[in-house]
Amino acid sequence: MTRAVIFALASVLLTSAAVAHHGWGSYDANKPVTITGPILSSKFENPHATITVRASDKVWTVTLAPTSRMSTRGATEKVVAVGQDVSAYGYPSTVEKDEMRAERITVNGKTYEMR
Amino acid sequence: MTDAAPAIFVALEQSGFAAAIRQSPWLYPAANVGHIVFLTLFAGAIAVMDVRLLGGLSAAAPGPLLARTRNVALAALAGMAVTGSLLFSAEASHLALNPVFQLKAVLFAAGLINVAIYQFWAKPAVEHLAPGASMPARAKVTGALSLVIWIAVAACGRSIAYF
Repeated sequence: MTRAVIFALASVLLTSAAVAHHGWGSYDANKPVTITGPILSSKFENPHATITVRASDKVWTVTLAPTSRMSTRGATEKVVAVGQDVSAYGYPSTVEKDEMRAERITVNGKTYEMR
Repeated sequence: MTDAAPAIFVALEQSGFAAAIRQSPWLYPAANVGHIVFLTLFAGAIAVMDVRLLGGLSAAAPGPLLARTRNVALAALAGMAVTGSLLFSAEASHLALNPVFQLKAVLFAAGLINVAIYQFWAKPAVEHLAPGASMPARAKVTGALSLVIWIAVAACGRSIAYF
């Protein structure tokens, strides 16, 4: 009885862990977008840095990576500062309006991977 | 930040305390790691207690075993409360509206209610039993509920980021 319960619970736990593979689930990877424009605001904060960008169609909120990962890859606070021109490739949120999660961003001709 | 959340959560997220957590390069990741380390301690202690309540580990008298593992569980729970508060404060408005976080909160409350039920209903029937004695049904019920509820709480916690 005890073993059966433990086995059942372990199965549930492992299955749910596999389903929740990574935190990109609420972004539509089938509709990638590239937005380009000046950075209007920048929050270099955990758990993810975010910027807002005035693109040609609207102002996007762009979710980036944790600050330590950003810094490690060279995308420091100065790189994603207000006023910089940025190009962001990523996926629009299926939950938040006008929000996207960037796979990579390009600033001053240099590309930084966010994943 | 989302204004759709109740004002208290918006205010918490906008507080200097929450901003400090977000702006520190190490505080949020440290709380994240600490939360999981305390979770493993908590889960280990809970598993020993619940398996004993279900009739396993029967060579040990239930009273002393449960008392000692409970101390570990309580200490780990305190650690999770501290680290969890940091993680919650940083993103309070979103988390308050996150369906998985809400489910976790409900399950957490259920877990605490189960602790109270155990305390008043099952513990008196268990704590003086000898090693090898068969466990009463009330011990098995609360033990099984505890296993199911706390594992579900942990699964919800790990799933918050994906919703």
